[in-house]
Amino acid sequence: MQTNAEITASTLSIKDLPWQIAWSMEKCTLCGSCTAVCPVNAIEPAVFRKRTVEAAINASLRPVSGFKIYYGVRQRTDPAYRCVGCGMCAMVCPNDAIMPYRSDEPDKLRFHLNRGGQAQRRGGRRNSPGGLLDQIKFTRISMLTDPALDAGRHEFELRTLLGRILPPEENMKRLREHGWIPPVREIYPLIIGGMSFGALSPTMWEGLQMGIAYLNEEMGMPVRISTGEGGCPPRLLRSRFLRYVILQIASGYFGWDEIIHAIPEMKVDPCAIEIKYGQGAKPGDGGLLMWHKVNRLIAAIRGVPMGVNLPSPPTHQTKYSIEEAVAKMIQSMSMAWRFRVPVYPKISGTSTALAVLNNLTRNPYAAGLAIDGEDGGTGAAYNVSLDHMGHPIASCLRDCYLNLVQLGQQNEIPLFAGGGIGKSGNLAANAAALIMLGASGVQVGKYVMQAAAGCLGSETGRCNICNIGLCPKGITSQDPRLYRRLDPEDVAQRIVDMYVSFDTELRKIVAPLGRSTSLPIGMSDALGISDKAAADRLRISYVV
Amino acid sequence: MDDQQQYHLISGREQDIRLESRVLEERLQEAVSNGHRRIKVEAFGQHGIGGRLWRAGNKPLHIKVVGHSGQRLGSMGFSGTRIENFGPASDDVGWLNAGAEIIVRGNASNGVANAMAQGRIYVAGDIGARGMTMTKQNPRFDPPELWVLGSAGDYFGEFMAGGIAVICGVEARTPGNVLGYRPLVGMVSGRVFFRGPHGGYSKSDARLMPITDADWQWLKENLARFLEAIGRTGLYEKLVEREHWQMISARGPGDKVVSKIRSISEFRRSVWNKELGEGGLVGDLTDMDMSPVPVVATGIFRSFVPVWENRFYTPPCQASCPTGIPVHERWRLVREGRMDEAVDMALSYTPFPASVCGYLCPNLCMESCTRNSANMPPVDITRLGKESIRAQPPDLPPAEGGKIAVIGGGPAGISVAWQLRMAGHEAVIFDMSEKLGGKMSSLIPEARIPADVLEAELERVRSVLPHVHLQQRLGKDDIEQLKADYDFVVMAAGTAKPRTLNVAGKGATIYANDFLAAARENRIDAGQKVAVIGAGNVGCDVAVEAARLGAKDITLIDVQKPASFGEERRMAEAIGAVFRWPCFVREITEQGVVLESGEVIEADTVVVSIGDIPDTDFLPGSVDLEKGFVKVNSYFQTSDPRVFAIGDIVKPGLLTDAIGAGRKAAEAINRQLQGGQPLEETGQVIDSSRITLEYFDPRITSFSGLDQCGANCASCGTCRDCGVCETICPQGAISRKQGSKEDYEYVSDPDLCIGCGFCAAACPCGVWAMRVNEPLE
Repeated sequence: MQTNAEITASTLSIKDLPWQIAWSMEKCTLCGSCTAVCPVNAIEPAVFRKRTVEAAINASLRPVSGFKIYYGVRQRTDPAYRCVGCGMCAMVCPNDAIMPYRSDEPDKLRFHLNRGGQAQRRGGRRNSPGGLLDQIKFTRISMLTDPALDAGRHEFELRTLLGRILPPEENMKRLREHGWIPPVREIYPLIIGGMSFGALSPTMWEGLQMGIAYLNEEMGMPVRISTGEGGCPPRLLRSRFLRYVILQIASGYFGWDEIIHAIPEMKVDPCAIEIKYGQGAKPGDGGLLMWHKVNRLIAAIRGVPMGVNLPSPPTHQTKYSIEEAVAKMIQSMSMAWRFRVPVYPKISGTSTALAVLNNLTRNPYAAGLAIDGEDGGTGAAYNVSLDHMGHPIASCLRDCYLNLVQLGQQNEIPLFAGGGIGKSGNLAANAAALIMLGASGVQVGKYVMQAAAGCLGSETGRCNICNIGLCPKGITSQDPRLYRRLDPEDVAQRIVDMYVSFDTELRKIVAPLGRSTSLPIGMSDALGISDKAAADRLRISYVV
Repeated sequence: MDDQQQYHLISGREQDIRLESRVLEERLQEAVSNGHRRIKVEAFGQHGIGGRLWRAGNKPLHIKVVGHSGQRLGSMGFSGTRIENFGPASDDVGWLNAGAEIIVRGNASNGVANAMAQGRIYVAGDIGARGMTMTKQNPRFDPPELWVLGSAGDYFGEFMAGGIAVICGVEARTPGNVLGYRPLVGMVSGRVFFRGPHGGYSKSDARLMPITDADWQWLKENLARFLEAIGRTGLYEKLVEREHWQMISARGPGDKVVSKIRSISEFRRSVWNKELGEGGLVGDLTDMDMSPVPVVATGIFRSFVPVWENRFYTPPCQASCPTGIPVHERWRLVREGRMDEAVDMALSYTPFPASVCGYLCPNLCMESCTRNSANMPPVDITRLGKESIRAQPPDLPPAEGGKIAVIGGGPAGISVAWQLRMAGHEAVIFDMSEKLGGKMSSLIPEARIPADVLEAELERVRSVLPHVHLQQRLGKDDIEQLKADYDFVVMAAGTAKPRTLNVAGKGATIYANDFLAAARENRIDAGQKVAVIGAGNVGCDVAVEAARLGAKDITLIDVQKPASFGEERRMAEAIGAVFRWPCFVREITEQGVVLESGEVIEADTVVVSIGDIPDTDFLPGSVDLEKGFVKVNSYFQTSDPRVFAIGDIVKPGLLTDAIGAGRKAAEAINRQLQGGQPLEETGQVIDSSRITLEYFDPRITSFSGLDQCGANCASCGTCRDCGVCETICPQGAISRKQGSKEDYEYVSDPDLCIGCGFCAAACPCGVWAMRVNEPLE
């Protein structure tokens, strides 16, 4: 700051910022790498003046004041150029001379991120580390009471079912009478949740899809991935890989005319159709793909003109009630593939989830329900939606499952849970906990970004700039300069690593339970938690 | 049996009651302790028969088991113990066997040889699941052996860590697969000989190996022994067909190659792209190369690109100078030792570089100097201004262009005529005064400027510009005539009428301009006490002149905080003038000024100095007015396209405003005379944050001379050619290119530059800028 500059209400010092750059003059070699890669221009090269005073008190000598210049790196304090803590500077520094550090106190920046009355928006995740899922323990270790199973040695049936499962007598009846039997998919219970082509870069998307195809075709793992709302590349629609894909339709209906055009040419049916009504990260809020991200590629896949804003409204316009929304959408989407493809809605975690679920139980075409909890991620949302809106997944899922149990339909309508699974790195434990609380499978997104592409985001406000297209890892950018940093083959390899290791960990959890012939869906007697209130709420053991 | 007598009989039943395993074990151990080495056990399902009989010492011990042996026959068996079981055996035969030879003359169920470390187990039939699992091989002993005449059950050899298993495949329960389901998972050591088909085994742990001659030799020899032990020697000939045998051995840690997995690259090439087409997922939609690029990149992959924006922006000094003098360029010439050029250059912009820049101007250039932002004194232009008294006018081009009449010989009129003349036009000044100069020569106190300086500059003007001395005021008809005779008429008549005060007694006042003009010629006596109504800069001049004429008690009043500033204000304060506000005048009396409050400010002379307004009576109807002043556009053209207006007739202002207006109007006229359209001003002022003041010595608080001034000018927006960018560039991307004559430029090589911004940061002048690179898609 200039020595005699005026200060305003929003003039901040480095002390006021959440991320503070520590730069070492001693180590810095002035190579310029950090300033060349900082995605938000938070640091800049600078010229510094250093005054020196040589004291002398003898009569023969006079004290001397002088100064010299040195060059270095300076952190900017303008809120528009705040450091987001991504740490790319540290990543490229050859001498470890620079690093962002978290402030030792709550920052003052948060009070100034609304210039021009623009409420703060960002991407990423809820700024709230940890969570209930991490506290759940698997307390039923069978050893002698059930067949002792060895995760490394035994074979496990870990697949789950996606689709409406008829009661056996009804199924037999329809078989006999050649009636319609709802489509059911046998899939791996860890699903990659919807992240659109557009929200993600082309390299990230291709890497994910390639990894999924590899897992299916080379590893025999029936893993599935949702497209998110942004259409699906025409080539994928016409390939056999479509079998591994859950096509998502949401309120913007982007890319669906291309999908419809592709139906006559499809070699295989998609795994399922997911109708998105809500997103855990920003319940009740819509999406917006900014015009500058809508390049030629995105425009082609979404079937829109280039360079226009693409809003996905919070609601589907032509639906006025849950009954109508569910009935109409499920009918239409089922009809498109002549009732051969499971169709299910995805909602954000909410205290009204039971209303949706009860509706589905009465709809013979509903193939399941996906619920996305408050810890879900997003490419862009209002800060207030991210941090304060939504419902924790565990209790929401649990309520739904127990409701199905009451109806006697827990084996008929699969529930899929998403939102914060693996947020602290405990992917398999979180997934298994939700499965034992009643989920037939789980959807993950952020974990995938972190594990497969090195996403730098965190629950303590690190990076989280997916919304402005400057992702330094090239995961959520449409700028070739950024997304070509990401090699799709690396992403695919990491997806494979992630799934194979997840599979081992899941076995390590279910083996001691003595379960190898089916996924322990709803096996809540295996769960315990040291929080009495949570134990009561989830109806699992209270263990201390 | 003929050897009945030789075998000590221990029955597992007593009085029709089955003995507990514990009791049978006690009796067996006791018999061995008592010296029995041949023992026959009638078993009734007791556990662990025949194990742990170390008390036999080195002498061979033979245990015959008849009936139903229980689980773990011979478990923890010792070397020297030979157990022969006549019939099928239950689970875990030879569990943790540590040396016994155990013969089962029938099938054995699950877990045969589990955790066996030494000894041999011979099974005359099939074995159940998990045989030969978790076996060991202790280097101190021979490896354990398991011989099975038939086939192995499922999960055979899991975690096998040593020993030799031989599966003969004779009368096998599962002839299609003698090794069972999922054999050898986790096998780390040992060998398995087998005869017959198998249904696969853990290839990541084990592999098929050729049977060497030594292996074969061992197998043949021990096969004979096995067959003899189980009483099936007749099978020998059938079994010694070497080609029927295969051998699997464990992979070592070194060659634990996981089953051949296709690499992702290979998958992409031969599966992914093959199904989707060349280019993969979006190969049909874009031909963009998707190959990886480095994070710190050059060329088109840089995020930012440096641009050498030399002379692209206007420095604040030039921008704030109403006359538009490029002050920084003059200091550059000073730095380059070209003092004459630095001085002469000013005359291209103003006819009064010494009078105005050196004395009369409040020097807005210095006020806006970037150095102020770091609390450093601005470069002192008055020094260079004063020096400009010796500026030589350029050689004039012949006046062959247009003809322009300029009404008014003040600074505005002189400026426009000066510029037009230098552009090769004929400009004639019409003025009521005998001498050119307007207010400069008639009203400004000599205290503000030495008379010889002003006179010298006016003389320079006179030598260039013709002047028509008007004997009477012009009328509307005269202007129409001038319009007919000249291409353009420029109104620069200033403000000839004082703004009046509408209070009683105003007749007893004198207007500031009249006072100043009279004072300049020393033909007025102001008295001891002077009150000045209106404390602007003209009021200050009045106060200074009144003091010079002998007034002692001078008060300036104003209705608001006085707008006076600069040299005028300082001089007025210096002579002890009192400034008072807010003061509202009720009337003027003989005593002086009576305020609304009733207070009387005593005065011998009351001067009204509340501004002047133009005399517009002579203007033709085609020239629109606004609030008493002439209305003009941005280049000073009036509503009559042939008539321009500049100076105070448009808006009261500084001398430099008038001079600048003259220059701009001249430029517009010049362009129109040449058939073009006047240009709007476009020069954008450089952002002061681009200038790097850290290079300048903050200890300098005043300047000792022109050279020091030149050295300390930051040269905002104009390259100083210091070369610091070339030096600091970490990539060596920047170089200096010499052009023809004095031209040069600094260029950055895109193939080397990473867009780090060090050049822009280090540039003292703010010439380099970082721009976001062109979008790639």
